[in-house]
Amino acid sequence: MLKRLSLTARVKLVLLAGAIAVGIALPYMVPQFFVGLATLALILGLFSMSIDLLGGYAGLVTLGQAGIAAAAGYGVGYMANRVGAGHLTQILVGLALGLLVSAIFGAMAMRADGVYFMMITLAQGMIVWGLSMRLTHITGAENGLTGIIRPPVIGLYWQFYWFVLGVVLLCSLALYVVVHSPFGSAVRGLRESEARMRMLGYNTALQKFYVFMVAGFFATLSGILLVYLNQFISPSAAHLTASALGVLQAILGGLGTLVGPMIGSFILVAFQNVVSQYLERWPTLMGLTFIVVILFAQKGIVGAVSKSWYAWLRRRGRDEELSEVARQEGPVALESSESA
Amino acid sequence: MTEGRTAEAKRWRWGQAAALLVGLGILVWWILSKMTWRSFLIQALNGLSFGAVLFFLASGFTLIFGLMRITNLAHGGFYLVGAYIGISMMALVGNFLLALVVAAVAVMFLGLFTERILLRPIRGMEKPEVLLTIGLTFVLGDVSLAIWGGDPTPVPIPQVLTGPLTFGSFAYPRYRLFVLACAIVVGAVLFYVDRKTRIGAIVRAGVDDREIVAALGINIQAVFTGVFMFGAFLAGFAGVIGGGFLSVLPGQDFEILLFALVVVILGGLGSLPGAVLGATLVGLIDSFGKALVPELAFFTIFAPMALILVVRPQGLLGRAG
Repeated sequence: MLKRLSLTARVKLVLLAGAIAVGIALPYMVPQFFVGLATLALILGLFSMSIDLLGGYAGLVTLGQAGIAAAAGYGVGYMANRVGAGHLTQILVGLALGLLVSAIFGAMAMRADGVYFMMITLAQGMIVWGLSMRLTHITGAENGLTGIIRPPVIGLYWQFYWFVLGVVLLCSLALYVVVHSPFGSAVRGLRESEARMRMLGYNTALQKFYVFMVAGFFATLSGILLVYLNQFISPSAAHLTASALGVLQAILGGLGTLVGPMIGSFILVAFQNVVSQYLERWPTLMGLTFIVVILFAQKGIVGAVSKSWYAWLRRRGRDEELSEVARQEGPVALESSESA
Repeated sequence: MTEGRTAEAKRWRWGQAAALLVGLGILVWWILSKMTWRSFLIQALNGLSFGAVLFFLASGFTLIFGLMRITNLAHGGFYLVGAYIGISMMALVGNFLLALVVAAVAVMFLGLFTERILLRPIRGMEKPEVLLTIGLTFVLGDVSLAIWGGDPTPVPIPQVLTGPLTFGSFAYPRYRLFVLACAIVVGAVLFYVDRKTRIGAIVRAGVDDREIVAALGINIQAVFTGVFMFGAFLAGFAGVIGGGFLSVLPGQDFEILLFALVVVILGGLGSLPGAVLGATLVGLIDSFGKALVPELAFFTIFAPMALILVVRPQGLLGRAG
């Protein structure tokens, strides 16, 4: 069966299987600190994937996704810290709150696109931040909420790591199904030309609302996982910095691909950790990375790799393979052809 | 459009305006039932003076967007840098007017650098432009933190403007009245330049159709740069003026940006009258909201924004499309 697949597909499968194998074996290979970092990178990767679903597939770059994730985190934190409810209640309230906020934000933003969408989502995310700074009796303001303990089954760091790995793999699979479904095609249609989608009879506002909800669901999950990883939540979880970091991860890895955000997440988490050992100016470096990526590498790492893969195939004279690769979805530029 | 439909649209507009007025009346009546006339007046002036600072920011933001379609999210960063330069200049020379001018001009050159060096390679790519300006905001905020530290400090204000101004038994801080007066003057100048002068005509024509303006032999690139620099100038100006009564501290770049965004979303992106209306509304809503429901400080600006986006997505005075 493997023989019938093209070389590109085989290479991809082998790489993916290798990555998953390394992922599973990781707690045996590296010390606790690095497993913790990998857990963080996986969660942020999931968060970034939810941004990519909107930004890469639907062409709607969101700058407020951290607001949704943080709302879910606050739901968990409030139930744990202020109410003292059980884990099931914590998670259900977190889910409900994340989805509720997604629905409100989606309904507000569904008629907008382009930069207007970015501005609206930015304001939305920052308002979650502002509210969590002011609603002291619920959120504890800058002191945040502590005392959020993981369920005992996944209490230890390696147990939690494997749990996160499992959730992220399942979510990636679900996202793969979503973007390859007819709904996924309609979502890509929004990116290519909303006007034409409307001509075809699609209710584009409703489509946007749906995709916003799907993305919001995955952001909600990442928010719940993150609050259990840190066992703490504070307003910075909702800040534009968090949202923008997710966007940067997606672009750095390769917008419009599912693996891109994850690659970007691992690179940035590693980068941040190395850098903060030597100097305190992480925001500056993050900002500069942003500027450099936007100016020189909008298709990200996946874009660069697939470009050189393409060149290698051409040198080898594998023509039928080339047309196969050309048909596949690569990373997309930020700007769709219509608005450029 | 036929005659009948125009009349109908007019009637619809009048209906909207009437509904708005009635709603506003009820709101004012409700607020007055909660507070005395004196505190009502104080809150209104507080709101208007905050709105004045928002107007400086939002007008530059909206002009840049209207003409170049660039969404300059670094405007909050420009504000912060302007405020900090103002503080340093006050410490250095102690002249408020000089500090104001130097800070605004310095930020203007920051704008020149941003437009010419950073944004030029990705001209016309709207989303990358937005993201780049966010990256720039992080850099500006963090570098400011490294230079000026993290303690909240106000921009020192001159002796003449400190203390209250009294009208009979009513006293109100002079400085805030000065800010309000500044906004009125700047607003008047902006409207005059926009409506009555050649440069205003070029900018307005550029908003409508950049290619035709360029084809008429006008150096549209120079106009772009000029407007961008002017917007940055206003942001630096706003930083010093606003820093006089809102303390300057790290993170304020994003907070003030949020308010400016709500202003343009409410008023309508690209519209100067929209910036005036939006800034007034947001200032007043924020001020009365803080006084009446202090817990919901941010929700009070969120709710109207949500309402506007559902009812009139292009903003109150924005053009559809």
